[in-house]
Amino acid sequence: MGKTKTKVKSNYNASLTFFQKVKKYRVLLLMCLPAVLFFLAFSYAPMPGIWVAFVKYNYRDGIFGSKFIGLDNFKFLATSGKLLSLTKNTILYNLAFIILGNFLAVFVAILLNEMRSKWFKKISQTIMFLPYFISQVLVGILVFNLLNYDTGFVNGILTSLGMERWQPYSNPNVWPPIMIIVYLWQQTGYNSVVYFAAIMGIDGEMMEAAKVDGANGFQRIRYIILPSLKPTIVILLLFALGGIVKGNFGLFYNIVGTNPILYNTTDIIETYVYRATMTDFNFSTASAVGLYQSVIGFIIVMTVNFIVKKIEPDYSLF
Amino acid sequence: MKKKVLALLLTTTMIAGLTTGCGGGNSGSNANDTSATADSSASSNNASTDNASGGDAAASSDDPWANVDTSEHVVITYMTTGETPTGTKEKYDQMMTELNKILTEKCNAELQTYFISWTDYLSNYNLTLAQMDGTVDLVGTASDWLDAWPNSKNGAFLELSEDMLKTYAPKTWASVPASNWELCKYDGEIYLIPEDNYAQWTNHGFIYRLDWAKAAGLSNGVQSWEDMTTYFRYVKETYPDITPWDSDGTQYAQMAGGWIASHSDYVPIDGINSAAMWGGTRGDLYTVYSPFATDTDSLVEFAKMMKEWDEIGVWQTDVLNNTSSTNRDDYRIGKVAAEQHHTQTWTDLVSHTPANTIYDDDPNAETGFFYFGQETGNVTALSITHGAMAVSAGSKNPERALMVYDLLRNDPDCYKLFCYGIEGVSYEITADGLRTTPEGYNQDTDNINGTTNYWWGRNDDLEIPDATRDWDKINALYDEYDKIKIEYPYGQFVAEVDNIRSQISNINEITTNYMKQIAFGKYSGTAEDIVAEYQSALKSAGIDEVTAELQRQFDELYK
Repeated sequence: MGKTKTKVKSNYNASLTFFQKVKKYRVLLLMCLPAVLFFLAFSYAPMPGIWVAFVKYNYRDGIFGSKFIGLDNFKFLATSGKLLSLTKNTILYNLAFIILGNFLAVFVAILLNEMRSKWFKKISQTIMFLPYFISQVLVGILVFNLLNYDTGFVNGILTSLGMERWQPYSNPNVWPPIMIIVYLWQQTGYNSVVYFAAIMGIDGEMMEAAKVDGANGFQRIRYIILPSLKPTIVILLLFALGGIVKGNFGLFYNIVGTNPILYNTTDIIETYVYRATMTDFNFSTASAVGLYQSVIGFIIVMTVNFIVKKIEPDYSLF
Repeated sequence: MKKKVLALLLTTTMIAGLTTGCGGGNSGSNANDTSATADSSASSNNASTDNASGGDAAASSDDPWANVDTSEHVVITYMTTGETPTGTKEKYDQMMTELNKILTEKCNAELQTYFISWTDYLSNYNLTLAQMDGTVDLVGTASDWLDAWPNSKNGAFLELSEDMLKTYAPKTWASVPASNWELCKYDGEIYLIPEDNYAQWTNHGFIYRLDWAKAAGLSNGVQSWEDMTTYFRYVKETYPDITPWDSDGTQYAQMAGGWIASHSDYVPIDGINSAAMWGGTRGDLYTVYSPFATDTDSLVEFAKMMKEWDEIGVWQTDVLNNTSSTNRDDYRIGKVAAEQHHTQTWTDLVSHTPANTIYDDDPNAETGFFYFGQETGNVTALSITHGAMAVSAGSKNPERALMVYDLLRNDPDCYKLFCYGIEGVSYEITADGLRTTPEGYNQDTDNINGTTNYWWGRNDDLEIPDATRDWDKINALYDEYDKIKIEYPYGQFVAEVDNIRSQISNINEITTNYMKQIAFGKYSGTAEDIVAEYQSALKSAGIDEVTAELQRQFDELYK
């Protein structure tokens, strides 16, 4: 329909000089500006700072004046002998968070969408959203007060029912589910908003047409809502995968703290590095770890995007 | 198409964000660094010119700084660990006003304090130093607990030349013996001004209720770790409401170190790692070893005894997740029966001060101290750099900072103001020349001594002993120490850890993980197994390499 029109328009655009274009799209540009500035200031400007991962940093000579020592800063990670188990823990937890998190968020968004009472919908949305605003430090304290052996809430109930006390802080195996539950409790409300918004954006005509054709509620979800959400889900998944080697430090550090009995199942790259480098305050080692995580994250995003592109080119990021 | 472009844009920015990772804060500080480098070189130039002019006539008048140019009024910031005053703010401000009058008159400078809060103090302390933008001038530091040497190496502190010290801190220069200055040098340069004229003992041990220990059948008080077990068992049985020792999960290193001190002649080297895992023995000071790797039988015994303590219920079951214990204050009011800390803390708890209500509640209450190393007489005196002052390399006015320090340390008026506050408000001097609290004194609003935390230049020539302390008991213990102590032997040794840093980091991590389980009896399996596992982990992390490297550096220095 608009083929000729587009062509004319683009010809017209091409004939504009750069400044004319700037003038023409000034409002759009202005709207972009904060984001552009943000990324310039916080992502591009500090990029040369990666160099600190390759030097023996000292305060007086600064990042670029300090002595270059190649990959020595990465040695610490490699010699710890824990790199594999740490990376594994980090990735597995993040996979669980991403998959279960998105699944639950979509589920909740659909439930919200199907609710007919507006009042009930708002209340439940708010209640689910609230945990997101609780600081991780408080979450850590909440969990400790629920689960601790001597005075914990859960153990209080267990003893008053005449049952044996439960000792989660000495048992590493119970922690993966606990961490996942806490994460979901905190994040689902927030994540579901995105999907809820996507559902709101689905063309109402389609829904009505389906209704007229006799599709019931489940069929509408299965054949209209879910397919319409697919691009959103894929894009959010791709975004999340980029950060898959970056652990959720706040969550883990505040809940597990420095209890070594639980490290087997709860230690992630961040918490390990924090403990190991906090004592000698080494910027360089910490940056080396950050770089390691970024490189792996980059590789994962590229790979996954490549695969997505092969299967369904429209859904890939680039 | 537009969507694609948007997606592309978003993605590039995201990837950019990812790849920079931790680089975030660093480039900013780099900019600061460059400017600070320029500043400090500029100021050291100034210093040398000033020296030349100041040196000529320094001795000719009463004012040691008659020839120093102090025409410009400057503000000197002093960094200390401690909380920003809230309750004591009013009195603190009054004191600072008084103090600054004197400082302005004598060297045309005024002082302000930069407090490093106790929460994560070491990280915040180091971060502040890393800024190097003149935020702080004088830095309270310590070789054993505030990274004085790593920071000297990192370039955070200014080299203090002899000329500078003679010119700007003449009294301090004269009062510190040359042999002590030697101990403050790294690579031939002085970086620290030691607090070397202040008697204190910071060796650790258990503070406990002597009257209860006697009731438990220990007529001489606790003399060994075994007695401690008896004591805890008695307390738990007799006073079921009291947690014998409401420890938090961080005490493991002191406990392990204490056990080793009590069962060997080990003399640890400060400042290599927090658990002080390397050292020599009293008989053979300069052969480096790590008892953590070699004293297997002793550690197994330790693990067994701590399991016993855990089963008695000395601490809470989830002690490893307990980060916010108020044990010391609980001791004061009789809610717990023991505290693990150093002699200096004991001198407070043993005394009948207003805060220690156990002595009001029970006239028979007494507090004993079982110090680590008591069984073997293994006590080492404090290193003189346990408290020291340094000048930040980022300081814009290092000369004036030294002048202010010289006054704080040696001028009686400044010293008393800064350490105790305003006379008649925060303290009073008794007829016997002791320091006491005036009528109407309120600990929460008037206590300056606990606010300024001036632990980097206290001076026994000016100290006024605290009348609330039980000096009979304290001096008795000090005398006992003096009989058995040796001086800290490794003051001159600054370990070069660059080549063994990653091993040490990993050893720290392993020790924390295993020692927490061992020291609180929280391991599963037998004591033999957990110690064997710990020691094999140490081995594979390269503890032998570290020991060998330290030995090499020892040989270079001491042979």
